[in-house]
Amino acid sequence: MTDYILRRLLLMIPTLLGITIVVFAVMAAAPGGISAASLVDGQNLDPEAKREIEAYYNHIYGLDSPPAMQYLRWLNNVSPIGFEFDDNAEIKNFSFTKGSDLGKSFRYGRPVAELLSERVPITLLLNTISIPIIYIIAIAIGVYAATRRGSQFDVISGGVMLALWSIPTMLAGVLMIGFFSNVQYWHWFPTGGLSSSESGRLPFMPHWGSLRDVGVFLLSIANATCLSVWLSVQGSPKFRAIVIALIAIAAAIVMALALPESSQSFGWIILLPITLSLLTVPIALSDYAVLRIAYLGLFGLILGIAIAMHFTQGSFVKGFLFDRLWHLILPIICLSYGGFAALTKLTRTAVLENLMSDYARTARAKGLAEDDVIWRHVFRNSLLPLITVAASLLPSMLGGSVIVESIFSIEGMGKLAIEAVQTRDRELVLSITLLSGLLTLIGYLLSDILYAIADPRISYD
Amino acid sequence: MTDPMSENTQDSIDAATAPAPVTMDNTFAQRALHNTFKRWGARVGLLWIALLTIFAVFAPIIATSYPWLLSQKGVISSPLVQHLSVVDVTLLIAFVNACVLWFLPGSLRQKILIFITVISISFIASYILIKPPKLTIYEQYRLNEKAGNIDWVFSAPIPYSPQDYLRDYGDTGLEKPLQASNRSHWFGTEENGADVLSRMIHASRIALAIGFIATGIAMSIGVVIGGLMGFFSGKTDMIGMRIVEVFEAIPTLFLLLTFVAFFGRSLYLMMVIIGITGWTGYARYIRAEFLRLRQQDFVQAAIALGLPLRSILFRHMLPNGIAPVLVAASFGVASAILAEATLSFLGLGLVGEPSWGQMLNQAVRSSSFNWWMAAFPGGAIFLTVFAYNLIGEALRDAIDPYLNKS
Repeated sequence: MTDYILRRLLLMIPTLLGITIVVFAVMAAAPGGISAASLVDGQNLDPEAKREIEAYYNHIYGLDSPPAMQYLRWLNNVSPIGFEFDDNAEIKNFSFTKGSDLGKSFRYGRPVAELLSERVPITLLLNTISIPIIYIIAIAIGVYAATRRGSQFDVISGGVMLALWSIPTMLAGVLMIGFFSNVQYWHWFPTGGLSSSESGRLPFMPHWGSLRDVGVFLLSIANATCLSVWLSVQGSPKFRAIVIALIAIAAAIVMALALPESSQSFGWIILLPITLSLLTVPIALSDYAVLRIAYLGLFGLILGIAIAMHFTQGSFVKGFLFDRLWHLILPIICLSYGGFAALTKLTRTAVLENLMSDYARTARAKGLAEDDVIWRHVFRNSLLPLITVAASLLPSMLGGSVIVESIFSIEGMGKLAIEAVQTRDRELVLSITLLSGLLTLIGYLLSDILYAIADPRISYD
Repeated sequence: MTDPMSENTQDSIDAATAPAPVTMDNTFAQRALHNTFKRWGARVGLLWIALLTIFAVFAPIIATSYPWLLSQKGVISSPLVQHLSVVDVTLLIAFVNACVLWFLPGSLRQKILIFITVISISFIASYILIKPPKLTIYEQYRLNEKAGNIDWVFSAPIPYSPQDYLRDYGDTGLEKPLQASNRSHWFGTEENGADVLSRMIHASRIALAIGFIATGIAMSIGVVIGGLMGFFSGKTDMIGMRIVEVFEAIPTLFLLLTFVAFFGRSLYLMMVIIGITGWTGYARYIRAEFLRLRQQDFVQAAIALGLPLRSILFRHMLPNGIAPVLVAASFGVASAILAEATLSFLGLGLVGEPSWGQMLNQAVRSSSFNWWMAAFPGGAIFLTVFAYNLIGEALRDAIDPYLNKS
């Protein structure tokens, strides 16, 4: 196994070289090429001075040498072993300990490593929250749909997931930010960023002005959640649907009345109840108890928070934790809905293939409980495609967060990437490419190792 | 000659619908298509795409500021016809041509040949003959009408061109859908006063073109590279797979961004770029299929006969291995449309012409949130992507014998 991992790690080097060459070639082959022109663009100078200063910048960042030379120099800087240069740019000696240097961004005038170390944690935070959400929902719905192939649940969930998958992230993001964090409509969420400006001075945990408010808060949340969970375990689907529809319609009317005067219209009074009922009634009607409890419980929790917010009058300090969560909710929704929609379909297909296999029939024939057949035999064998996807999930979410970060103005990797290509910042573009390529390749390697763990038949020796 | 797939497909067809009769001219592809479009999802998807095609072809007739017909001091003229551009005319001819050919008898090959000939002739002819006026003044007809110079006028159902900012009204700007009583903007207007619906109809051309052409480019590259990899295997395969890996390890969106940011903005360039960043999936599918096929007798026979490589690859192997690629292509069209919308949304798209993504971007950049500017173009992107995904899924279910077995 160690041999295998070592071999794979060594094989990464040519691929990484290839990746950076492709991106560098694109930059160098473009009309205008790589230049410091964007640095000078905004300044109001006469053309002569502009040319001079551009030439100066081109010289200090080495942009005036031929592209191949530039690339080799960059490569030498980045690789941990390589040549060392003296002050006159002559080769001094070959060193094994010089360490790698990602260079200096010429847009920001700061070391790239420093910029990346600021931005990467933010994108990682977004992704580490959304990936578990994606997997939990995908497995919960996908396995259930596969075991009841052709049932109403299967057909409807399949359609809904395909629709969710087709919603462009920018549409979802723009509509959410427009309706839920705009003063014209419901100003419930912050408009962007990851924390409010005063969050540095806030204590970590939230606290309330009076004990009464804490009581009201906890009471309303607990009541609403318990009520909706109780409702979701009721036996009769009709009863569940009618009650939840009534609650949804009431909540929708309150919501419509909470709009500011300027945007209140009769349309909302009709549209909102329909939307909210459509969001809750089908779930209440479904025969999947776990989904019902989780979904309606969440619905109750949201209602509880809304009621609590309405009835606590005292001063309420959000606290750092609460503030951060508040900022994260909309971006996380945007980042995860497409992922779990795609993964649900994949899970369903994988489980379906294994359900029809001979070993599943054998397991049933020898009298195993259906749950054991599904979770201990079929599901374990269906893990392989899910692991494959996991490998490509991390880098693709880096890409996906480009849109989310630019909509919600979060200063993460995605936003940095857009700025880097727009300003033709050679160092930054190449470093981001290198980093995302490395992440992808490590993802592939991890998935190959996980294959061997999930399926003992696979071995790499 | 019996098709090995026929048994599976026969089993698979749901009990509710009668199986298609298997005859010699009822090929696997025909049965697969028949199975595909039996599903309501694929039908709905196809219906939307057809509707969109009609909108795209007839855009300059449906949504235009030029009246269809007007009579000015007894002289009847049609400003619409005078202002049709070369592309508009060619598209119209192509559409009529395709409709006629659909109903005429003849083999597919002949039809395609006729289609291409007619289009090239009509393009060249219209390029020489049609000279639309360079100066476009949208408001002149409305001003004339107001001044009483026009006897009668017959306007388009949406009497606004996408770049008609309604300067003659003076008080235009942002308008909610159906807000002003004297002019009907079904989907409202954007900040400069241009009609959103008209812009959307004209933008459907870009969406359709990007989807088909970018996917076509990606598919051609993928099929050629993947086919060579699968056929020769060994060293070629090794090197090819490394190239595929390199392209897959760069996040597609980032590669796209780099290409577009460095190469400037043009519709055709964008198609090419989306094409050359998206070929790896097709290459993988074709490679896998060809690796399986190359050992089979009919391929060995073709090699033994000394047929040229082109013939072995594309005439003998490709038709047997194209199925998974077609499924991927259907999803590929959806993702190409999304890619264009994303680029335009990030402000890296086309400048002059409206596209759905660019309209979304406009909605974000404006100081206040105007839901109609975001919801309608975004909804159009959603519907189109959804339609292609529906078709793709139906196609996959139809040709997958394993899933249908139960």
